[in-house]
Amino acid sequence: MAVETLAAPASAADIEKHASLWSDAWHRLLANRLAMVGLAVIVLLILVAIFGPWMTPYDFLSQDLNARNELPNAAHWLGTDELGRDVLARVIYGARTALIVSLIVTAIAVAIGVTLGAIAGYAGGPLDSAIMWLTDMTMSVPNLLLAVVINASLKPPLTAWMDRMYQATLNPIWRNSLIVDFVLVFGAMALVSWPAYCRLVRAQVLSVRSRNYVTAARALGLPTRVILMRYIVPNAIGPLIVAVSAGLGAAMVLESAFSFLGVGVNPPAPSWGNMISDGLRVWRTYPHLLAAPAAVLGIATIAFSFLGDGLNDALNPKGRK
Amino acid sequence: MSSMAKAPLLEVKDLAIEVSTRRGPAKVVEHLNFMVKPGEALGVVGESGCGKSITMLGMMGLLPPGARVVDGTATLEGRDLLKLSNRELRKVRGGQVGFVFQDPMTSFNPVMTIGDQLIEPLLYHRAMSKADAWKRAGELMRLVGIPGGEKRLSDYPHQLSGGMRQRVMIAMGLACDPSLLIADEPTTALDVTIQAQILDLVKDLRARLGMAVVWITHDLALVSGLVDRIIVLYAGRIVEEADVDDLYKRPSHPYTIGLLGSLPRLHGPEGRRLASIGGTPPEPGRRPKGCAFAPRCSMKIARCETEEPQLAPLPGSTRHRAACWVAGTVSVEAAA
Amino acid sequence: MLRYIATRILIWIPSVVVLLLAIYALAFYGAGDPIKLIFLRAPGDVAFDPVRIEAIREQAGLNQPFLVQFANYIWKVLHGNFGNSLLSGRPVWKTVAAAAPISFQIGLLAILLTAIVAIPLGVLAALKQNSRLDYLIVSVSLFLWAIPAYVAGPLLMVLLIAILPGADIPYGWGGIFDPRIVLPLLVLSFQPIALITRQTRAAVIEIMSEDFVRTARAKGVPELVVAFKHIMRPVLTPVVTQLGLIMITLVNGAIFVEYVFGLPGLGRLTVQAILHNDYPIILAVTLIGVTVAMATNLIVDLLYPILDPRAGQGGR
Repeated sequence: MAVETLAAPASAADIEKHASLWSDAWHRLLANRLAMVGLAVIVLLILVAIFGPWMTPYDFLSQDLNARNELPNAAHWLGTDELGRDVLARVIYGARTALIVSLIVTAIAVAIGVTLGAIAGYAGGPLDSAIMWLTDMTMSVPNLLLAVVINASLKPPLTAWMDRMYQATLNPIWRNSLIVDFVLVFGAMALVSWPAYCRLVRAQVLSVRSRNYVTAARALGLPTRVILMRYIVPNAIGPLIVAVSAGLGAAMVLESAFSFLGVGVNPPAPSWGNMISDGLRVWRTYPHLLAAPAAVLGIATIAFSFLGDGLNDALNPKGRK
Repeated sequence: MSSMAKAPLLEVKDLAIEVSTRRGPAKVVEHLNFMVKPGEALGVVGESGCGKSITMLGMMGLLPPGARVVDGTATLEGRDLLKLSNRELRKVRGGQVGFVFQDPMTSFNPVMTIGDQLIEPLLYHRAMSKADAWKRAGELMRLVGIPGGEKRLSDYPHQLSGGMRQRVMIAMGLACDPSLLIADEPTTALDVTIQAQILDLVKDLRARLGMAVVWITHDLALVSGLVDRIIVLYAGRIVEEADVDDLYKRPSHPYTIGLLGSLPRLHGPEGRRLASIGGTPPEPGRRPKGCAFAPRCSMKIARCETEEPQLAPLPGSTRHRAACWVAGTVSVEAAA
Repeated sequence: MLRYIATRILIWIPSVVVLLLAIYALAFYGAGDPIKLIFLRAPGDVAFDPVRIEAIREQAGLNQPFLVQFANYIWKVLHGNFGNSLLSGRPVWKTVAAAAPISFQIGLLAILLTAIVAIPLGVLAALKQNSRLDYLIVSVSLFLWAIPAYVAGPLLMVLLIAILPGADIPYGWGGIFDPRIVLPLLVLSFQPIALITRQTRAAVIEIMSEDFVRTARAKGVPELVVAFKHIMRPVLTPVVTQLGLIMITLVNGAIFVEYVFGLPGLGRLTVQAILHNDYPIILAVTLIGVTVAMATNLIVDLLYPILDPRAGQGGR
């Protein structure tokens, strides 16, 4: 925001212009202090999620009944819970859960949204209207309620189906209830998250479609697939990056919200959401059990929000004065 | 010099305006001097970005954020506008000085009826009651030739055509009988046939009401029938100034010649044709050393790139001035 | 104008019906046999007595085709009959009717608070664009937008007790004049405030650079009149269109805020129903949530031509 770099001269070759567009955006991002703080926190979070579990002296499951409900101390930096489990280790494992869930959910949602958006924008006509109607409708429903209903309704039949499969095949994989959890949590979350991407991609496709170079490419008889890949996708990528950054944060929040409500990934896999919900019962006596996961979740979501905002400013310089 | 007897209505001296750019502040207008006499019509001509609009906005305290007047005076009827308080300046705008802007689509508030917008000058300058102002607005509508007059007052801007909106805009500028009407490219956004109508309307109104007009345009040919004098701006400075007939008969600065799209009647040193002007004007803050027009000029000599020419009377005339090394010599040669 | 309203409503109705249908279908094919669900909780082995189940099923009309059942359900819902809670056995509508007023009161207060706080803050940030104050307002609203209610609520409670050790825990409901309302109301308003502040700021910045604002100044209109008449009215249009989104954040937020602060509203009811798999209640609150959100969208659609005369001109 404070420092701006020079724009490339208008006469620069197309490729140079493209490259400088990105380096330009990168420089604008570097100059945005809030965004850089966000990026640093996210990088730290990813490192912790990957390597953290090997670095803590405690397992997230190992109980030490002699050290229950301890306040933060030298041995347990964030204290222990009512089973004597190390809170720091659980928070670190929670980072892993949060990141895995938000990455997978965002990937599914982006896949659905981009596909539908591209189809809607490219095909136009009644197909476009139908897809946009679906998008608008999904967007206008309180997403948490929808996800909860999907989750609550599909859990019994899915579990029953798993049972039948187990009885038919006797393969122990069908007895793993975590699969049901993951499929349902991912599915429900992705189903309420795709409309934003769909809208964005459709708008991009519509605006790029009408440009002369795309008309020229169509006139040359290039197949639709090639036009999409070569002209439309590169143009849509900037706004999509912004949306994905915001979406990752939102998915992380949604995951913890699910866990908080008890419809998320089941214990023992620790999740910040269910740590908060557990902590809520005992926070008057052991505030650290609530404060630790809540603070970490808060910091993580804010980091994504700062980065997303910075990316938005960096990639859409027109939007700012 | 008999015409100088009347005191000028508006006299601008040494005006300089600066804008903030990525590379720091840059002057977009500098050393600007001109005057408008009561009832006179002045054409201000130049390419977009040459500083013609920002000059007018600067005098009236309407500059967008990031731009500011850094030097000069602009005396309107004996008072320096640049020294007035916001409150006093507000009384001048819409009162003594009326404005007509370029784009009649975006210059109206889309969520207010045109009547509500048209009566505003009357409410705030004449302290009229709303009913009286509405009645006067109806008269103004008829004055600018809108069929139906006051019936259209309760329409919203999007319900009027571009030409109609521009007529309303003129009515708005004239609502308080200003002594000066500033029209900033008022016909650029309109169809050619509508352009002529608007031009005729202003000409007619000027004859009836006797206000002075400053008409900003990039189209030299358009204003020939309307204005008395013309100043030509390039990169924030005046490059030529003349009575309108004189300018058309004897355009002297290569830039003016280019704007007229005509051939130089006398061969320049290199004798090249000048059908159009290639290139673009310098960006603010990146003025070349000598004459700002030199990089695009087909008649340039060595001196043009090292020394900046000042506005000077052409031989044989006191009222026709140009800022060009070549224009002078060409004329001298012609006279010789 | 009338045609515009009619079109909006005609587009709206099928959307609502399809949504209700989808949710009901989820319940119908997903949640399992409602009779079994009821009797699984009943004492004894009723659930495994197929003859009795069949009899009850017949009596309740549950052996009819899906669409007939859906029509019946909607018909009953229109008459206020949502069935009985699996948990308490009481009629769902009674439970909902007790909880709904609490949620609606808090929701309305939150909207009011949002309007009072967010619009002036957004205008202020826009007027002081790129100043420190602007950065502060923008970062705080980013912060408030990002932090979920179940994080903000507990943290604020911990903070309150840490600062005022003797203070009462703000837990429970005592009407809107009870001081215990302050904290939950704040937490519930965080996201809407953040949203509207940023929205207002962006709109004011955009409108201020519009040509018509310059026109107004050129006419000598006083600055205050320019601000209120020429800038604020166009600013309201994009802000009002966010009402739908606000309603969604409020519905989402209420679920957590009411649970965390022990307010016996629809939100807490939802959480309890989810925890106990009380399907009729989940269905009922979802229907209410969806209807409120969709109704807000319809209201925004209908308000739009009043705010912006350019819309809806087709039906003039």
